[in-house]
Amino acid sequence: MLSSVLLVGLLHLSGCDGDAPVEPPKPPPEVPVGPEKLDIAALSAAAVNVALVPSPAEMQRALEKNGIATGLSGMVTAKVLKMDVENKDVIAVRTGVALADALLTVKDAPPETLTGRLNTVKAGMAALGGGSDIAATIDDINARVVNNSVSRDDLVKELDEMHGAIIPEIKFEAGERAVPLIQAGSWLEGSNLVSSAIINANNTTAGTELLRQPQVADYFIKYVSVEGEGKAPDEVLKQLQGTLTRLKEIASKPALTLEDVKEVKSQTDAVLALL
Amino acid sequence: MLSALLFAAALAPAHADEASAEACLKTKIWEGYNQGWAVRTATNATLAQGEHRIYLVTLYAGTEYKIMVCGDDGIVNADIVLYDSLGNEVMKDTAQDREPVVSYKAGSTDTYYVAVHATKLKEAGGKAGLATAVTYK
Repeated sequence: MLSSVLLVGLLHLSGCDGDAPVEPPKPPPEVPVGPEKLDIAALSAAAVNVALVPSPAEMQRALEKNGIATGLSGMVTAKVLKMDVENKDVIAVRTGVALADALLTVKDAPPETLTGRLNTVKAGMAALGGGSDIAATIDDINARVVNNSVSRDDLVKELDEMHGAIIPEIKFEAGERAVPLIQAGSWLEGSNLVSSAIINANNTTAGTELLRQPQVADYFIKYVSVEGEGKAPDEVLKQLQGTLTRLKEIASKPALTLEDVKEVKSQTDAVLALL
Repeated sequence: MLSALLFAAALAPAHADEASAEACLKTKIWEGYNQGWAVRTATNATLAQGEHRIYLVTLYAGTEYKIMVCGDDGIVNADIVLYDSLGNEVMKDTAQDREPVVSYKAGSTDTYYVAVHATKLKEAGGKAGLATAVTYK
């Protein structure tokens, strides 16, 4: 009897009478979004740089919006970018250059030229330890280019996605430096072509609007200037560091002159010539 | 018994599904291509309620930008705030949903900060996957 009373009491206390609804857990109170002005030092310290760098395709569109109709695709030159070298940093920069060239010429390059550029990207990715997925993706794209079974407009989207969404998320065996240095190569090639187009058009306003990116140069300098333990600086990386430092100085000016744009071209030419 | 429950709770995965957030974002990106948008970057993060992730972005003068976020189903309200290079708020998403969007056309080429906030989650102590894309046209 006593045990029955206790059992009924316990069931009552615990609310397990079979009828009382079980309340779902209350959602936590909403946290208000930050103030209208934030401390810039705190912003900078907390910021991640994955979205900092404009893509080569974006550079091309910005060029058109600044009234320079010359497409960058016709200015891309044939390059032999060797990936069988020891220095992974150099491979990453070369891979970025090849990727930029593929992106900028995807609409109108002959199939063998486009697949050649994509195979260079694939070789770079393999040398950096980018895994088999990206290689399979490039093989698939190349097969469709050769079979003419994909429109160039769709290819633009696929390469855009590869550049902006797939490659930045890859965990390279070569380490965390690989992604920013690939981006550096693409940005360098894009900046070189943009500066050429601006010089040809003699449009200094476009120079100010398109080449004033001191924080992008600064971001790359941080990676290029960090040497591996006991590793002698490579000639390419030394030149790249010097170029980026000078580009940062130029880009920090409130307005760029035609001479500044010419220097951007000569500085980027110097790095690209070493690749 | 209690220790077993605590152990199970400790092993329970956080309520975050970056894959579903990424799939939602990918759909939006591909829809955007049909309207002339292209993607600069797409990236993922897992955040608890009240946490945020800040992305540094360079925006070109005259180019239209659309910053899009997709949250997984563990989040009720995600927000985007765009700050200029001095930390001043330029634009803010005000919708109470998990797929905020902010559109902006920069007056001059400069660096901006994009803050993505996990403002309200379904469950206290949970985590949510948020995928973010910077697109342009």
